[in-house]
Amino acid sequence: MTDPEQRKASDPNEAELIERAKHGDAWAFQALYDKHKRRVYSLCLRMTSNTAEAEDLAQEAFLQLFRKIGTFRGESAFSTWLHRLSVNVVLMHLRKKSLPVVSLDETQAGTEEDAPKKDFGADDLALAGSIDRLQLQRAVADLPPGYRTIFVLHDVEGYEHNEIATLVGCSIGNSKSQLHKARMKLRELLKMQRAEKAEEPESRR
Amino acid sequence: MNCVELQASLAEMEDGSRAEHLAHLQAHLKTCPACSALVAELNLIASSAAQLRSCDEPSPRVWNSLEIALRQEGLIRPQRASRSRLSSFHTPALASKWMRWMVPVAAALLLAAGIYVRQNSAPHQVAMVAPAVHDLQGNSQDDIQLAGLNDDDLMQEVAQQSPALRAEYTESLRRVNEYIQDAKNVVALNPNDEDAHRSLMEAYQQKAMLFELALDRSMQ
Repeated sequence: MTDPEQRKASDPNEAELIERAKHGDAWAFQALYDKHKRRVYSLCLRMTSNTAEAEDLAQEAFLQLFRKIGTFRGESAFSTWLHRLSVNVVLMHLRKKSLPVVSLDETQAGTEEDAPKKDFGADDLALAGSIDRLQLQRAVADLPPGYRTIFVLHDVEGYEHNEIATLVGCSIGNSKSQLHKARMKLRELLKMQRAEKAEEPESRR
Repeated sequence: MNCVELQASLAEMEDGSRAEHLAHLQAHLKTCPACSALVAELNLIASSAAQLRSCDEPSPRVWNSLEIALRQEGLIRPQRASRSRLSSFHTPALASKWMRWMVPVAAALLLAAGIYVRQNSAPHQVAMVAPAVHDLQGNSQDDIQLAGLNDDDLMQEVAQQSPALRAEYTESLRRVNEYIQDAKNVVALNPNDEDAHRSLMEAYQQKAMLFELALDRSMQ
């Protein structure tokens, strides 16, 4: 991740919390958990689309982190360390479930299905201005697992393609291809949502 | 460049690394409203994704389970002798045996911590101890109100001794009170559910630990 805020050293307050956690301070553990829980849990939820699984994975990620906290030396940001660990926990879980982490259609050439659709110019269905967060959440949850993984890692969490390739075990080209297809699929899903919403008042007449 | 060629190139160009193709891309976009809309929408999706980061909150059970695991593995270490008695609550055999009467004991511990804070922060006030203890034994309905009074005393102590941590304690108190109330509601609906009683006991324990932490700081 190249986010500058992620790469700076842990802030002084966090450094103190880490030191206290190393000495078994319950308050410090909870403070560290509270500071990072939303980021970790949101990542797990986006990747699994399952609340119970996401909570279990978030718990596992923090547990693994806290077990190793004695070895943290502060060379990189604590959040970067935690985030990378969380991603690995989720990917391991997906592999265990035999879910495709990344689609294997790297060499598949573009088809008629991939060509620009004729309906995307319809003004009333155009995505303009902003996208509602809940609609986007729903659309991401409906993505195929492989597309969802790449989209979450790149667009949501900010990983670069070379990092994603290492994490999920694919090529950089495949990562780019999957990301593009994920965005195209999301575009389609969001337009469908808007179409459904636009039709609702008519069906109730 | 036509529409199919443009879309085929979007995947490779999405990170802006192929600058030499940008000129061809821009030229086509200027003449093709459909592709222009497509690119704009894809960019909108990409830029909107960040709002999904850190947007969800896990339920309290995640921390509760995590804390138990940390204590069981010895990563959270008892800071004072009194806490070793609390850690014994997590022994499965003893927990099942002590469940029903440990709930009011944990609440009494909480009350005792609150009384200590009240006596030290407001020496001229008289703590309503005797009726409160009887209430806890027979009627648990008042303990939340009592806890609320103790909360004020605790926050007063924190404000005096550790003002920088006031916001953290306020938030922690709010969360643990919610936890207690939720656990009590579950017990009310399922009075014979051992797990429900265990959750309520753990909720009181957490609040008692919060008081102990504050007292630790005060004495330091």
